[in-house]
Amino acid sequence: MPERMLGEELALHKISRRKLLKFATAMAASLALHPSMAAAIAENLAKARRQSVIWISGQECTGCLETITRSASPTLESLIFDFISLDYQSVLMAAAGEAADRTLREAAAANKGNYLLAIDGSLSIKDGGVYSMTGGRSDLQILREFAGNAKAILAIGTCAAYGGIPKAAPNPTGAAGIEDVIGDKPIVNIPGCPPIPEVLTGVLVNFLSFGRLPDLDEQKRPLAYFGTTIHDQCYRRPFYDQGKFAKSFDDEGARQGWCLFELGCKGPITQNACASLKWNGGTSFPIQSGHGCLGCAEPDFWDKGSFYTSLAGGQGPGWKDIAIASGAGLAAGTAAAIAARRSRSAIDQSIEHERKTKSGTET
Amino acid sequence: MTLLDFARGPALYWSVLILIGGLVWRLSGVLFLPFQRNLATPRGGGIEPVYGAISTIFSRMLPHREFWHRTAVGGMLGYAFHIGLLVIVVGGAAHVAVIKSATGLSWTPLPKGIIALVSGMTFTVLIIVLIRRLMHPVLRLLSNFDDYASLVLTIFPVLTGILLAGETFGSFGLLLAIHILSVTALMIWLPFGKLAHTVFVFFGRGALGANFARKGAAK
Amino acid sequence: MSAPDATPKRASHRLAETAHQNDSARVKAGMRAFISDFGPTAAIFMEACVHCGQCAEACQFYVETGDPRYTPIHKIEPFKQAYEREAGPFALLFRALGLAPRVTLEELNQWQDLLYDSCNMCGRCSLICPMGIDIADLVEKARHGMFEAGLVPPDYLGAIAEKERSTGSPFEITQEHFRQTLLEIGKKYGVEMHVDEEKADVVPTVSSIDIKMFPASMAAMARVLNHIGVSWSFRTDGFDADNVSLVAGDRKGQRAVTEAIVAAAIHCKAKTLIMPECGHSYTEMRWEAANSVGKRLPFRVLHISEYLAECISDGSLKVNRVSQSCTFNDPCQISRRSGASAAPRAVLSALGADLREMPDGGDMNWCCGGGGGVALIGRAQALRDKAFQIKMRQVEATGADTVYVSCSGCRQTLEHGGKKFQWNKTVGSLLELVSDNLATIERVLP
Repeated sequence: MPERMLGEELALHKISRRKLLKFATAMAASLALHPSMAAAIAENLAKARRQSVIWISGQECTGCLETITRSASPTLESLIFDFISLDYQSVLMAAAGEAADRTLREAAAANKGNYLLAIDGSLSIKDGGVYSMTGGRSDLQILREFAGNAKAILAIGTCAAYGGIPKAAPNPTGAAGIEDVIGDKPIVNIPGCPPIPEVLTGVLVNFLSFGRLPDLDEQKRPLAYFGTTIHDQCYRRPFYDQGKFAKSFDDEGARQGWCLFELGCKGPITQNACASLKWNGGTSFPIQSGHGCLGCAEPDFWDKGSFYTSLAGGQGPGWKDIAIASGAGLAAGTAAAIAARRSRSAIDQSIEHERKTKSGTET
Repeated sequence: MTLLDFARGPALYWSVLILIGGLVWRLSGVLFLPFQRNLATPRGGGIEPVYGAISTIFSRMLPHREFWHRTAVGGMLGYAFHIGLLVIVVGGAAHVAVIKSATGLSWTPLPKGIIALVSGMTFTVLIIVLIRRLMHPVLRLLSNFDDYASLVLTIFPVLTGILLAGETFGSFGLLLAIHILSVTALMIWLPFGKLAHTVFVFFGRGALGANFARKGAAK
Repeated sequence: MSAPDATPKRASHRLAETAHQNDSARVKAGMRAFISDFGPTAAIFMEACVHCGQCAEACQFYVETGDPRYTPIHKIEPFKQAYEREAGPFALLFRALGLAPRVTLEELNQWQDLLYDSCNMCGRCSLICPMGIDIADLVEKARHGMFEAGLVPPDYLGAIAEKERSTGSPFEITQEHFRQTLLEIGKKYGVEMHVDEEKADVVPTVSSIDIKMFPASMAAMARVLNHIGVSWSFRTDGFDADNVSLVAGDRKGQRAVTEAIVAAAIHCKAKTLIMPECGHSYTEMRWEAANSVGKRLPFRVLHISEYLAECISDGSLKVNRVSQSCTFNDPCQISRRSGASAAPRAVLSALGADLREMPDGGDMNWCCGGGGGVALIGRAQALRDKAFQIKMRQVEATGADTVYVSCSGCRQTLEHGGKKFQWNKTVGSLLELVSDNLATIERVLP
């Protein structure tokens, strides 16, 4: 492949330097970097070589790939995406079977120590990973083989980051996130079900510009995108503050666009950029469409009870359980009373006996 | 499982069961003790004791006039935080939502600002009550672990609720978890200490009211 | 039950706090008594306390001394401790976790003056408690255990309780002696006495304090009953209603005294038993006697003030009017604890007295400090004197010079207190006031 610099590639596509600078400024803001970094980003992007990216998959639904590659019209971001060297991606690539396997091994060998390893879907750990296999090998094996020579690992989507939907109880395949398996490589978690495409772009731009991953929080998520909760950026926040809540999906409050807290919105405990960056190029996001946040960028979001139980509530006991507990209490109390009655009647009897036998005499 | 998952899940589940089971235990253990029939001729017979029991439940809410000046401070402090707690629990929007999800009953909550004011008042009064309990000679003599634990376990939900509603520090999830856990702690302790007076106040006043009505005595 | 003409026996060693009984036996006896008192009502009361401390504000002993130990609910602490350990719903749990320590003799000892010296069982605390706890009733129950553990103050409540139990009278007054006394009083005061008649509709009883200190009240009783014209008789086999055993906590003695009176009244087929001017004697016969003897009483029990009011109302008792301003000291057991505060007022009204009610009087009256056996505890004198200050202030506030009482306990306390503090008030008995002012009735003889 011709080793053109990114700046040359852009020029070929008639993307001016000015446009690149504008893009760099936007990315600096997106990455929560100081505006003065824009020039450095532009400079470094222009000089960047095409970065090798190997994309392997675990137990995934392909939604993460769809979100990232599906765009309504070519955008500069998608062009940038085009200028990484996506050396292996089982859905997008033309090759299949043994040819695909060969491509993977050759790409990894050719870029040894330099490629970014992107993964979507969770890993199956149970029973040696037999529940998720590609080409006769478990994806767990494949990951271990190729993680060793990667520069860094991008865990794309909640499944790759934390285990996601396959990990939901009872977790029959032993699904796990990448970080549960790999401990000795820098990992970026880009959660979301699916994640916002601009987040991946930002991570890549950061890597291309500065040769390293952006600042991460303790859950290894890029701080710039996952540093605040949906609640903190939500446009419906004034309604929350005023106590105006929709009680059902078609009541007056819902029609007025009131806060969806009581309909189960998990916005306050979910960190992502949905409320600010939004989806489909900033068109909308679930709350704007009238449905509460599912918390899909958080670990185990599928196992936190109903999506429609508000955070103020929980999984309290049902009436049957309460009846059983009352019955248990009644049994314990009755037993205690019986014990007390026994000791009292024994005493009453002995007092009565004493009274009868000792009447008229002293002590 | 995060702390919030624990709070909204097993903690909430078991604390409600312990609260209800524990209270039923305590009440049945008391009511099933051997009862002695009263053979004395009543002054107020027949159904009078029933009226006495019910009316005393309400009349004891206000002390006799002769006691007012000596009980004013304690009485007003007590009412202040009890009413405050009631307003917060029954009027706070989040609490109305909890009750609705548990029982299906719901009503219009009070505005957030009113709840904030009442919460501030309630918290302040509870602190004053705690200080008073530590300083007043009678209260200091009477008070044991139960008294202080009950006060602290009542103060924490109010305090953590204020911190949560104001989204003061840390993450929403952590504040919410701590608030829910403070309530579950209160619920777990309630049946076993003096907080069970939530139930026994009715039985105490009722028993005295019934007995005194039987005697025709002043209640 | 009373021994006829028996020589007085020596006080039992159990009352004298000696080492004749070992500690563990005494505690065990005390606990037995406690446990036999744990019923649902007492349990509810003990479960309901929230340590609010308001009961202290109603108690004359706390109010006048400021000593928090006199907080009423604090007085029953060992009783409550035993309940939680032995009969409470969580007894097993608390015992297993070591949260319910045994009551020790040392602890009971420390509580002796709280349960006896500083409690009149007057019931003011029971009226103030926001949880509706009848604390006075719990004190009465707790005294049972204290007595059995040999901890009733021996000087001289314990001593006279023992005499009452063994002889039927706290002052060892025998039947024969009482008969003679009555006949002498009849002669001295010129009043017809009826003693030990086989049949009588009305049987009056007397308080031992009256026998000792106010013999004129027995004459007054006779004179009034003669005036009313009912068939009545004193019974020497059941006369001493004082029931010091009750306030000492001796249930055996309490029952013995009661049984004698009930038997005497039944013997002469009485319709009405009259309790003298006394507090706890009325409480015993009116509210507890039927339970002590295990069956409903076949006669009415009335306090003398109730009987006087009743007879005034039905016209069988006519009194002259006395133009006197006075105040009235309600006896705690009759007014507050029994709901009979209207009766003495009806009597005073019939007498045309200018009654000036005390502040905090009537059902809310402060105890004079002498009731519940406290007047019988020598070492409690100083404490009683403090409590008495409230009574003096109450009476002063009325501006009246005369206080009428309907309880010889109050009468004795007010008179002694008056002397001690050079108080210039006259203390008078309501019964004697009536007796001194009987109007002539035209009676058509059958």
